Amino acid sequence: MSDDPAIEVTNLTRVFESRKGFLFREVERTPALKGVNLSVGNGAIFGLLGPNGAGKTTLVKILSTLLLPTSGTARVLGHDVAHEAEWLRPRIGLVLGGERGLYNRISGRENLRYFADLYGLPIAERDARIREVLERVDLVSAADRRVEGYSRGMKQKLHIARGILHRPSILFLDEPTIGLDPKSARETRKLVRSLVSDGVTILLTTHYMFEAEELCPELAILSRGQIVAKDTIPGLRRRVGGDRTIEVDAYGFDDREMAQLRVLPGVSKVASEEFGPRMRLTLRVRTEEVRPDQVAAMLPNHPELTVRERRTSLEDVYLDLVEEEAT
Amino acid sequence: MALPESHASRTRATMAALRLSLLTFMADPQWLVPSMIAPVIFGLVSFELFRGEGPYFLTYAILGAGMMSMWGQTLYGSGWATGQDRVFGTLEPTIQAPTPYLYVVLGRIVWNVAAGLLGGLIVYVVVVVAAGGPPALPNPVVFVVLFLFVMVTLASVGVVFAAAYVYTRYAGFIQNVGEFAFYVGTGCMFPVILLPFWTNPIALLFPPTWALDALRYLSIPGYVGFGWGWQWDLVGAVGVTAVYAAIAGSVFHRVERHVLESGNLSDY
Repeated sequence: MSDDPAIEVTNLTRVFESRKGFLFREVERTPALKGVNLSVGNGAIFGLLGPNGAGKTTLVKILSTLLLPTSGTARVLGHDVAHEAEWLRPRIGLVLGGERGLYNRISGRENLRYFADLYGLPIAERDARIREVLERVDLVSAADRRVEGYSRGMKQKLHIARGILHRPSILFLDEPTIGLDPKSARETRKLVRSLVSDGVTILLTTHYMFEAEELCPELAILSRGQIVAKDTIPGLRRRVGGDRTIEVDAYGFDDREMAQLRVLPGVSKVASEEFGPRMRLTLRVRTEEVRPDQVAAMLPNHPELTVRERRTSLEDVYLDLVEEEAT
Repeated sequence: MALPESHASRTRATMAALRLSLLTFMADPQWLVPSMIAPVIFGLVSFELFRGEGPYFLTYAILGAGMMSMWGQTLYGSGWATGQDRVFGTLEPTIQAPTPYLYVVLGRIVWNVAAGLLGGLIVYVVVVVAAGGPPALPNPVVFVVLFLFVMVTLASVGVVFAAAYVYTRYAGFIQNVGEFAFYVGTGCMFPVILLPFWTNPIALLFPPTWALDALRYLSIPGYVGFGWGWQWDLVGAVGVTAVYAAIAGSVFHRVERHVLESGNLSDY
């Protein structure tokens, strides 16, 4: 496998223009990506997280040659997406998912056959390959039924089958489990993992933190069109101040108590949140030196105090980084 | 790895689009109305309208009703299919496939020509059955060839319309505005020469005008069209169709680039 990055993005920007008015049309410019820099290695699943409107789908569409950047460069498998789309398209798989994107009046098999022909899959192996991908996504029994009768999960499987039909070297999965029931979502994640073992590089966007945690050894967080962090999950935990989190709940804390906690050695961050009459302090903790009983001992005036310790989740990391960027 | 660089791959994409059109047609009974039922009605109405109007009334009836049955499907069918691609969300994966979209449109054009011809054939059969015999055609072989060529001229304009559907989701609006004007202005309904003179140069910008004039010259003795005979009409039709084909190739390339710049492929 090549050491060259599968994806390399440099100072990538994308501005969408929309026009308002009828006679005197006003042009409104909305920046979706603002100078994105990103490098993704070969043969693994790379996660791209971000809130709605962060620019994830825009980035995926640029990388899959469906959208041109406004400025900057994006290279996939060493080739420029803006100028070498013809070379790239047979080597890229794209799964946008959802209810749309399929011909509903014809069968799943016919959908795959149509796209196999557009991708120039050799005729001698076309039907066998269609069978193979249908088996892989567990759609063989429904293959000859019209797509309009498929459930959301079955449509998602068909999207994935189409994405891998031509054996792409790199696969872009845009929120592949959104709207799926837990069983279908689990099956989809299992399928995604199996694709990596075939040597396919995958860029996956998702809103689900547990999904990213389960699938992606490395990920980036995109917020308001910018990459705010890119690292492994342990690296991201370190970045937000520790892989342990202590949560302290009570009916309010005064400033002195919060200041005391902030200066505890090993505590990198103290955040407060109100839940009705109660208040929660969240402490990001770097070392084992800070223990929950030690924190409880520092807050003797709260008989109703509850303290619990847990591992810092990817969701904590995500929220910290997105909030940090927003402020 | 599949590398569809060759003409063979592009031909396969065209055949795949043709096959998809056929499957979609068979899956949706609403198409029976414009493709099979409407030609029967047009044929009968046209036969009654022209009955007794001179020795060539059967040819008038067949041409009038035949064009009515064929022109819409052939001219706009491919554009409409591209509009449907937008609605279904299939335009993005189709554009993302390695084969240029023009070859997909060509497959749809072939289908729409075939479906249009079926409509024309139904009209012919209906009128002939109603009249109790076929019309007297001075040159039946050339008539058939020219008839087919009229379809090609309609298809050449249809490709440009299909590009408009890729370009913008509002192409349907342009089509609806221009539909009747195009139908009358190119002579589908009656000879263009009957329209005010100032409309004639505009009409000649469209290949079907030339081809339809040629068809009338050939099949209706004594017909007075543009005045230069069916052979020169045919030359004109071939020339203008070639220009449209060249425009279509270039326009599609530019339109594909434009939609990648504007990012409106998923709008509908």
